[in-house]
Parts: sequence; structure tokens; C-alpha cells
Amino acid sequence: MSDKNEPKSMERRRFIRTGMQSVLAVSLGGIAGVSLLKSTSKKLVWQLDPFKCVQCGRCATECVMTPSAVKCVHSFNLCGYCDLCGGYLKPDANARSTAAENQLCPTAAIKRQYIEDPYFEYVIDEKLCIGCAKCVAGCTSFGNGSLHLQVRHDRCENCNECAIARVCPSEAFLRVPVDTPYMIKGGFTKGGTSKDQLKKG
Amino acid sequence: MEKRIKYGILLTAIFTLLLFLWWMFHDPTNKFAESIPGEDKKGTDSLKVGPPVNIGENFQVFNTETSGLKGTWTRFRGADFDNIVKNSVPLKNSWSGNEPEIKWSVDLGEGHAGPAIYEGKVYVMDYDEATRSDALRCFSLEGGKELWRRSYKVSLKRNHGMSRTVPAVNAEYVLTMGPRCHVMCVRRETGDLVWGLDLVQKYKTEVPLWFTGQCPMIDGNKAILAPGGSSVMIAVELSTGKVLWETPNPGGIKMSHSSIMPWTLNGKKMYVYSAVGAVLGISAEGADEGKILWKSTAWNHAVVAPAPVCFPDGKIFLTAGYGAGSMVIKISPSGVEYKVEVLKQYLPKDGMACEQQTPVIFDGMMFAIEPKDAGPLRNQLICVNPDDVNKVVWTSGKESRFGLGPYLIADKKMFLLNDEGTLTMIKPDGKKYIQLAQKKLFDGQDAWAPMAIADGRLLLRDSKKMYCVNIKQ
Repeated sequence: MSDKNEPKSMERRRFIRTGMQSVLAVSLGGIAGVSLLKSTSKKLVWQLDPFKCVQCGRCATECVMTPSAVKCVHSFNLCGYCDLCGGYLKPDANARSTAAENQLCPTAAIKRQYIEDPYFEYVIDEKLCIGCAKCVAGCTSFGNGSLHLQVRHDRCENCNECAIARVCPSEAFLRVPVDTPYMIKGGFTKGGTSKDQLKKG
Repeated sequence: MEKRIKYGILLTAIFTLLLFLWWMFHDPTNKFAESIPGEDKKGTDSLKVGPPVNIGENFQVFNTETSGLKGTWTRFRGADFDNIVKNSVPLKNSWSGNEPEIKWSVDLGEGHAGPAIYEGKVYVMDYDEATRSDALRCFSLEGGKELWRRSYKVSLKRNHGMSRTVPAVNAEYVLTMGPRCHVMCVRRETGDLVWGLDLVQKYKTEVPLWFTGQCPMIDGNKAILAPGGSSVMIAVELSTGKVLWETPNPGGIKMSHSSIMPWTLNGKKMYVYSAVGAVLGISAEGADEGKILWKSTAWNHAVVAPAPVCFPDGKIFLTAGYGAGSMVIKISPSGVEYKVEVLKQYLPKDGMACEQQTPVIFDGMMFAIEPKDAGPLRNQLICVNPDDVNKVVWTSGKESRFGLGPYLIADKKMFLLNDEGTLTMIKPDGKKYIQLAQKKLFDGQDAWAPMAIADGRLLLRDSKKMYCVNIKQ
């Protein structure tokens, strides 16, 4: 009886030992692999997807920087260059002019310049922009959506946990590779962001 | 010790005084820059009246064709100005496979001008960038072949499209209004020029932002137009081009993108126009024809595109985009005059509102697509009872948004086209949203032009191409 059982017991012990060794080897290999991957992967930075942004205004108030590292940018190839610009003028403004009472931007960060009839150009003064997205909401509602927000990496601290991303209601914030840090709107694509919309900064 | 206290008090007093002086004389706004009018250095070239335009100067014939089709869609919003076909041929109840089939398509200049249809012929006001010309183009409804083209040179720059008006047509004439307010009347069958009228030259009309959106109106033997400028409304005899009456414009009302709507209140026929500066009713008959019957400047917005929706009980629903929202007014006869009362005024998020299209009334309920600034309802089709336009009966839901596209009703079915070319067919039900079918017809852009339908053929377009779709059973 004992002669028959002894070899079986030995096999079980060897099996458990070998199994444990294998699991340990795989785990260590995995950890080493992940570490290697992390050490060689590109650095990531925060950016916001302009197609997901709902212009809630939190970018202006939640960023650890004052003023916010999120600024409005303008895709000139999308802009209609309208006299009546929904991103520049308050709804039902008294006149289509540069008077303060007609401007939507609380810090007058958008400069309006006449080009030729009937076109006007709108340029963002980033020093004044606080990232409130009022112009983005106006442009999205009444225009082509050429005004949109972007995290500016000359200001962004790239916090491990972005204070804006934590509260963004549309989950528009994401990490993108440092060599393609901006998601500038281009063309007339709607409803999503493709890789070719990731532009180099 | 006392000395120390004295010095301490003295130093504190001096510090406080300096602080006070700094506070008094420091101007925290000294680096602020004023935002004043004129910083954009806006030119005055937009106010210049261009060189005279020889309206209707060119004519080309491409094909000849006779048609047995008898259906018509004679103007903006159809024969009865309500966007509903009353005696439609039976239309398919659902689509499968390749249905609905695109029968033909033609390239057009960039714009949002919808077509009119008359007995097998399609009339579109187009702009030809190559020849820099406004062009009334006549196509065959059956095959899409261009039959003839009446055009005239006029210089335009692209500004969110160029042409955006629907011609008006009757058995004899076609009436058009070009982007820069050039009105043209031609013989419907032959395209022969009858007359032309430059509203900017004659009435000092201010061309609206993004060019003319007012669709001209034919009423009997008259063309009814709202130039703004020196005359708020005019009537022109179709057969001769003779101006029959002109309504003075002392209030400086400007032309909007909205179109004139006829209305009969207590037996009195009038023309209602939602202008920039006011909404007004002008007598359409009798001894006072052409006179302003009532006017309200309470409705005053920079951009007004939808037409006024008039009800038999004296109420008028007014709506506009760009944050304007909507207003309900009531017109009541008061002796020989009319009283105007504002019943409601609200922002787009608080009830029915439209940016470009005009609501449709069907079976006592009102249907429209909400503008982008309508909060959660943005771009959804909604249904309200006209008696309470703030209470939404149903919406198409957040999965069914339609942009700024057009819609109409035929054979008790509602057809909606979204910005990118997806056609949706629904049952215009007063209780819930019932979608019958949906089809992505083309990969389009800014498909905002009003649609037209006749003989079971639906005409629709995006900014650069017009399509004929067979929806007949």
C-alpha cells in the first residue's frame, strides 16, 4: 500500500513546487515587462477633446493655475469670418461693433478685425483668455464651432491628477502623447476625434 | 517703555496713513484698455451700391422636354404656406434595402436655395461662381436634365453659401430674388424675361447678413416683396413689372431672412412680415391695400429667418435664432384699428423655438426642431400644443437630433432631413415620437434648404448638390 502511494506523493510535491516556480517566474517577468514598457513609452500630457466639450465653464475655475492653463484657440480654416459672430457678440447685441457692452468675452480677449466686406477676423489674446468657454458656447451654437478650448502646455503643470479632468461633466479630458499634445479642430468632421486630428504642438 | 509704545503707535499711524494714501491714489484699472466701437476698423464698402446689374441678361437652352406630371410645389412652404401636401400620392410607409431611391442629382453653387416644382419642371435659384452670375435654372423633374437657364452677372463672395431663396411659380410666371436682392420675373415655360427689379438700387434695401433669405411671394397677379429701405413692402404687377403700391417705412424696418405670410383675420386679408426691427401686418385688399394695419417693435432681433405662424384666433407665433427665442402676440381688431398684445416671450430652452425653419401645424399640434442653444433639447424635434408653446408634449430624444435641416408633411408622414443628409420619416403624432424609417441618403454638409415635393418625388439638397428621391408607393 505504502509502496504504491509514495511515488504519487512525490509527484504532487514536485508538481506544486514547479507550479509555484512557474507562477513566480511569470509574475516577475510581467512586472519586468510592464516596467520596461513604462520606461520606454512616450510621456503623456493632459488635453481636452473639443468635440466632447460642453462649455460648462469649469476649465476657468477648477485649474490649479490662475488664470487657467486652458485657453480658447481658433481654427481659422473653420471660421466663417462673419460680421455677426456668435462667439464674439452677445446674443441680440445692440450693434455689431467692438463696444464693450456688445462683447461676449468677459475679459475682451477676442480681437475683431475687419478684413473686407463681408469678412471679419477674430483673434484670441491668450494673455487675457481665462478659458471660460463663453465664446466657445456661442460659436458652437450659432457658428461653425471654430472657437474651442485647449490645454496650453506652456502653462499646464501636467498634474498627475488634473483638477479639471476630475470634475469635467463630459469626460472630455484625456491623456495624449507629448509629441502630439493638441487636438485642434480641423475640416468639418463632427461627432468624434480621429487620430489625424491630433496635431503636433 | 512709554517711549517704545509711543514710537510703535507713531510708526503704526504712519504706516496706516501711507497705506491709506496708496489705497486712495492707486488705480487698479490703470492697465485696463477700453473697448470702444470702431476698433475693428470696419470699412464702408458694404454700404456701397454696386454697378447696375442687367437682370436676366443671359439665357441658355440646354434641352427640351414635355412631361405628363401634374404635381406642384409652387413656393416656399408650398401652395398653402404650411409645408403640408394636402392631396399627395400615396407614399411608402417604410423603406427597405436601397429605398428610398435617389433618382437623380445635380451639382449646384454653394447655397441653401430650395426648389419649386410646377408640372414636371423644377425651378432653382442658383449662383454660378464660374461666371459670377445669379441663375434661375429649370430642370426636368423626371430625369434631372437642365432645360434652360436665365442668368445675370452679379458679384458675390461666399458667405455661408450664396443663394438661399425659393422661387415662386404659377402657371405663367416664375419669380425669383437673388442674393443681393435682384428680383426677376420670367415666363415659366419658356424662361423669357418679363421684368427685373433691383431692390438695393430702387429702395435702398440693406442686403441682409449672409445674403437674401426672403422668398418672393406671388399673390394673384402680383409679386409681393418686402424690401425694407424706403418701402417696407411693395406689390408689383407680374405681367408688366409696374409697381402697384409701396408701403412707406418711417420706422426704418430692415429686410430679414423671413418670408411674407398671408393671413386672414376676421375676414380681413393681410400680409404678415417678421422683419428686422418689427413684426407688422399690411392690408392685402380693399381701399387700404398696402397700408400698415398693425405693427409691433416688441419683436426686434438682428437675424430672423423663420416665417411667422399665424392662427385663426389672432395669435401669431414668432421665433428666431441666435439667442432670440420666441414670442406669441395677439392681434385684436379694435374699431378701425388693431391692438397688438405680447402674450409670451421666452428663450429657446423654455419652449418651442427655431433658428432657420418654420414650425409645421398638423392635426392641431405644432412641430419644430429646436436650435442649438435650446439646452438639452438642442436639435431635437419637439411637439407642442399651440395653446401652450412652453409645454413640450414630446421630443425625438437625445439619440434623434436633426441639426438645422428642413421638414415637411405629405401623406400624413413627416420627412426630416438632417444637416449631413440623413432623411427620417416619422408619423406626426400628437402624443409621441413615432419614427417610421431612416436612411442616410448622401454624405452632405449644411443640408438646410427647404425641401419640395410633388408626384411622390422629394427634392432636397445640401450646400452643393440637389437630389431627387422617389418616395412614392
